[in-house]
Amino acid sequence: MPTITIDGKKVDCREGVPVLQAALEAGLEVPHYCYHPGLSIVASCRLCLMEMKMPNPQTKELEWAPRLFPSCQTPVRDGMEVRFESPAVQGNQQHVMEYYLVNHPLDCPVCDKAGECYLQDYSERFGHASSRMVEDKHKNPKKNIGSDTLLYQDRCVLCTRCVRFCDEIAGAGELRVVDRGNRCEIDVFPGVPLDNPLQGNVVDLCPVGALLDKGFLFRQRVWMLRHTPSVSPADSSGATIWIDHNDEGVHRCRPRFNERVNQWWISDEQRFAWRAYVRREHERLTLPRQRRGGETETVRWEDLPAILRFRFEQAARAPSGPQAPAPGSKVAAVLSPMMSCEEAWLLGRFIRSVAPQATLVLGHVPVVGQDRTFAKGFVIRAEKCPNRRGVERAMESLGGPNLALADFLKAAGEGKFAAAYVVGGYPESWVTPDMQKPLAKVEFLVVHDLFASPLSAAATIVIPGASWMEREGTFMNCDGLVQPFERAIVPLEGVKSDGQFFHELCGEPGLFRSRRTREKMAETMPEFASVFVPRQEPEYAH
Amino acid sequence: MPYEKILTRNVGVPGSTSLKAYQAAGGYEGARKALAMKPDELVELVKKANLRGRGGAGFPAGVKWSFLPPNRDVTYLCVNADESEPPTFCNRVLMESDPHMLLEGILIAGYATRTTIAYIYMRGEFTEQFHIMQRAVDEAYAAGYFGRNVLGSGYDIECYIHRGAGAYVCGEETGLIESLEGKRGWPRIKPPFPAVEGLFRKPTVVNNVETLACLPHILTRGVDWWLALGPKGSHGTKMYCVSGPVKRPGCYEAPLGISTRELIYGPDFGGGMRDGMKVKACSPGGLSMGFLRGDLFPKNPSADKLDLAQDYDELDCKLDFDDTRRYGLLGLGTAAAVVVGEDTDIRDVLVNVARFYAHESCGQCTQCREGTGWMYKIAQRIRAGAGRRYDLDLLAEITTNMGMMPGLSICGLPDGAAWPIRTLVQRFRREFERHIDAQAPGAVEQAIRRVNPAAYELPIVQGRAVAPERGSMSYEHEWSNAAGT
Amino acid sequence: MSWQAVDRTRVPEEQLGPGLSEAVKEKIRAFFSRYPTKQAAVLPALHIAQDALGYVSLRAMKELAELLEIPPSKVMDVVTFYTHFWTHPKGRKTLLLCRSISCELLGAGKLKDAIRQRLGIGEHETTPDGEYSFMTEECLAACDHAPCLMVNEKMHKCVRPEDLERILADADNDRLDIPRSDLFDAP
Repeated sequence: MPTITIDGKKVDCREGVPVLQAALEAGLEVPHYCYHPGLSIVASCRLCLMEMKMPNPQTKELEWAPRLFPSCQTPVRDGMEVRFESPAVQGNQQHVMEYYLVNHPLDCPVCDKAGECYLQDYSERFGHASSRMVEDKHKNPKKNIGSDTLLYQDRCVLCTRCVRFCDEIAGAGELRVVDRGNRCEIDVFPGVPLDNPLQGNVVDLCPVGALLDKGFLFRQRVWMLRHTPSVSPADSSGATIWIDHNDEGVHRCRPRFNERVNQWWISDEQRFAWRAYVRREHERLTLPRQRRGGETETVRWEDLPAILRFRFEQAARAPSGPQAPAPGSKVAAVLSPMMSCEEAWLLGRFIRSVAPQATLVLGHVPVVGQDRTFAKGFVIRAEKCPNRRGVERAMESLGGPNLALADFLKAAGEGKFAAAYVVGGYPESWVTPDMQKPLAKVEFLVVHDLFASPLSAAATIVIPGASWMEREGTFMNCDGLVQPFERAIVPLEGVKSDGQFFHELCGEPGLFRSRRTREKMAETMPEFASVFVPRQEPEYAH
Repeated sequence: MPYEKILTRNVGVPGSTSLKAYQAAGGYEGARKALAMKPDELVELVKKANLRGRGGAGFPAGVKWSFLPPNRDVTYLCVNADESEPPTFCNRVLMESDPHMLLEGILIAGYATRTTIAYIYMRGEFTEQFHIMQRAVDEAYAAGYFGRNVLGSGYDIECYIHRGAGAYVCGEETGLIESLEGKRGWPRIKPPFPAVEGLFRKPTVVNNVETLACLPHILTRGVDWWLALGPKGSHGTKMYCVSGPVKRPGCYEAPLGISTRELIYGPDFGGGMRDGMKVKACSPGGLSMGFLRGDLFPKNPSADKLDLAQDYDELDCKLDFDDTRRYGLLGLGTAAAVVVGEDTDIRDVLVNVARFYAHESCGQCTQCREGTGWMYKIAQRIRAGAGRRYDLDLLAEITTNMGMMPGLSICGLPDGAAWPIRTLVQRFRREFERHIDAQAPGAVEQAIRRVNPAAYELPIVQGRAVAPERGSMSYEHEWSNAAGT
Repeated sequence: MSWQAVDRTRVPEEQLGPGLSEAVKEKIRAFFSRYPTKQAAVLPALHIAQDALGYVSLRAMKELAELLEIPPSKVMDVVTFYTHFWTHPKGRKTLLLCRSISCELLGAGKLKDAIRQRLGIGEHETTPDGEYSFMTEECLAACDHAPCLMVNEKMHKCVRPEDLERILADADNDRLDIPRSDLFDAP
């Protein structure tokens, strides 16, 4: 591990990283725009320049070289000595910051990026309060460059991160720099818009307010937002994200660095997954209901555990005639891959406690197309649910009879099940007639779902579920990585978060805490003893 | 005194471009000699001749070649014929009159560096020259000087002409390489240097046209002959260009080290000024090197003591790699002098120079992209009669922040923009101030309020000192000391 | 909405302009063998396309991108970086006036005014009859013949404003008096 000296302090750094990265990881604030650890290095913003000790050609002694070096492009070498605290380096930072504002419109009051803009931050920290530029500013246009993205060219600092992202990570190369000199602009070819499946990342990458998300445009000032770490439910990759939200709800999702999964990026599916839940909010189930004859009536949440326990026990005790699926009983639970590991385990435990021979079934696993791998290894998974493996693992540890979904539906269609607990939780409609028909044969059908569907209409008891933003727990991704996600917003009025409900169903006292549940799970499933939390990244200019 | 014409021997000679004429004058003999040697011997020979690059930086060509990694299967040679530095035209003259001399040089350099493909990157403005060169290449191919098994030596080399399309920055070696790869000519960050990882990520040598054209002569006439030409350290002859209101503008060959005055007034060179004018200013080494005061100014009374702070005639500056620096210029550059006569308003020169760099800045590094554009706007305002004394300081400061200190940007363009503007503002400050003092009262306020009606009075008139206590300006002093030791 | 954005996501068919003929494409393909990558042939390809169409149309850029196996945005990137390529139609002949320091010292400014007055067009504009377009350029590397003016490939040297009439009157003012290479067509 090389050790270098930055501003007189010894810093241990990772092998082969640029000095800039080492300085940022050591907690120093070094301004930079073009550098991003996930992209190639162009060293064009000239903000991160540093001084370095070099051997004097005459005396061969180490002394400060009379020039500046880009710290993003200089790899660390053991024993090297650099400094940022010097008149030359700080002078350069001041001047470059002044140049950045030469043609900038200074329209922060109407800029979405204000508050998380690195032009603001660096001007405040390294630049001037005033500009000496008294001439006409070069005015660049605003451009509509894609279905989700706007480009305010006049705010652009030409760090070319977005261009490099489209080239190197997304591999589509839609964005380019056009023209030259101070007339340079970022642009797409007319009629070939920015529409690759990772395009949303360019908005996060943009250190200033040039690239903006149309969905977030003029919605919120960023300092009004709270950030909650979460895991995207859009596919099985387990991409870690930030949910930005406030009392008015969720406003956007951003990637959260994860060295094992998604690095600095997320796909648009993952980025905009939350919108499906919000878009269909009016279709949400809001109170538990019970069918009595042809009518349904609301049930109090407090009464539900007793009702369920009674009915399931009754079904389990029913004589297992020739129609019963051997060797199980007439009770089944369908565990959705949208559930967290804790929820799946708790529900499985409840069912087994009332019907020890109950059948556990892995619910519908939505798959769209094939896994898609991008140039530098980013993968969009075909499996569009977050926790198939986690649910399978919980089922495995609980043992006992299992059935595949198709076999279960077949058996149910033959009337072999008297009671079933079916969990949904999918953002899109998922109930097909093939599912609906056999399940109609189940005498006591409990449907626990987000949205009203034909299945919930046919159910004996309907329990409203909470979306992933309203829950906490862990997802196990397709590679078996267990990652926690936190609750960002409170559940819709009338809805109880799934974990809390299963917690009560199991007769546990107090509040559901996913960590405490995991501790119990770890007794039989050691992989839940600890969860994976990504490395804390230094603050990059994005 | 007359000098022997070596590179320019065929300038103005009709029919000199054909292979027949070139061979009749002993052409391709140097290449034959070279092909009989081992490539490494050839590199050593060129190192011994200390052939310094003619493109501006003066880096020895042989040393450049020896940076190539020893084990390589592909090597490219890029011939830099993107002569875009105003007012330089020696490569054009050379290619127009003696294309085979260049091709022979390419063959020799190619063999020494074991080049597989040589690309002649020729700027898009060269149309006539392209047709002449292309014809010469075709002739050379037909005669077996290029292609497979050149002259029975077993050496294969291809040679293609690649035409640019109007970008000054493509004359920078890595900009040229990017442009050849079919991208915008944004210079690359170094390291890696082109010798290790250049064109198409393979070892690459980039040499100037004039440098390569010297090679046939070194081989045919020997290293000792070459070393006897010119002063120590800068051997050989240089093609000087002189243009502007002189009697004989053109390209003249002489050993390094003639004075600027000789280049302007010498009967073999510029032949003096038109209409008996005096020289107001002269940029002796291409635009980027900076301007000297002309003989419109009085002579320095103490001839041996240089005083750049005074308005003295500076035409005694010798055109070699060292004396130009003594006179506060960036360097020798392309040794192309442009003379500004006494009838020219110095503000026009400033605007022209600032416009050139603002137009040609590639837009990659922030200082250069924004700084050149800013300086152009300031220069325009000064010319429009709305300048401030403060603008002169501001211009000087921008040039300092842009390129006075090495390492501020990826390529040398901002340095090249900084020197002429800085030297103009410093050396002709009194003239600028005369113009500014003669402006209509309130002209500045009017011009600035037109842009920003809310501008405050004080900053308009006096300018604003932004953080004068720190910055690369204050550092400059240390740097110049460090450079001096 | 109080602000307007330029829509770059779609382009009307008629704005795409003319495309490249098979012969032009063939001429471009002949350059592929010179370079290890197809992308490197983009500059010669653009020269050829511009010589054939008079300018580089959007459709031509798209077709070139297909030919060179790169995204069309990369072609546009190159086209806009270099000043010689026109992205809107130009006249049969282009007057290219040097505006660099030597030429300007010797009267390129007056010549520019004369051209603008005589032809009634500004920079990057074309006369109504489609004959002449005009643009200025930084340094044509003929400072010894300042001020210089290029008409397509032909360089006119030491042009004074009063010479303009004579040059424009000559129908062959763009004809080179040396043999041309047929690698590139005359514009």
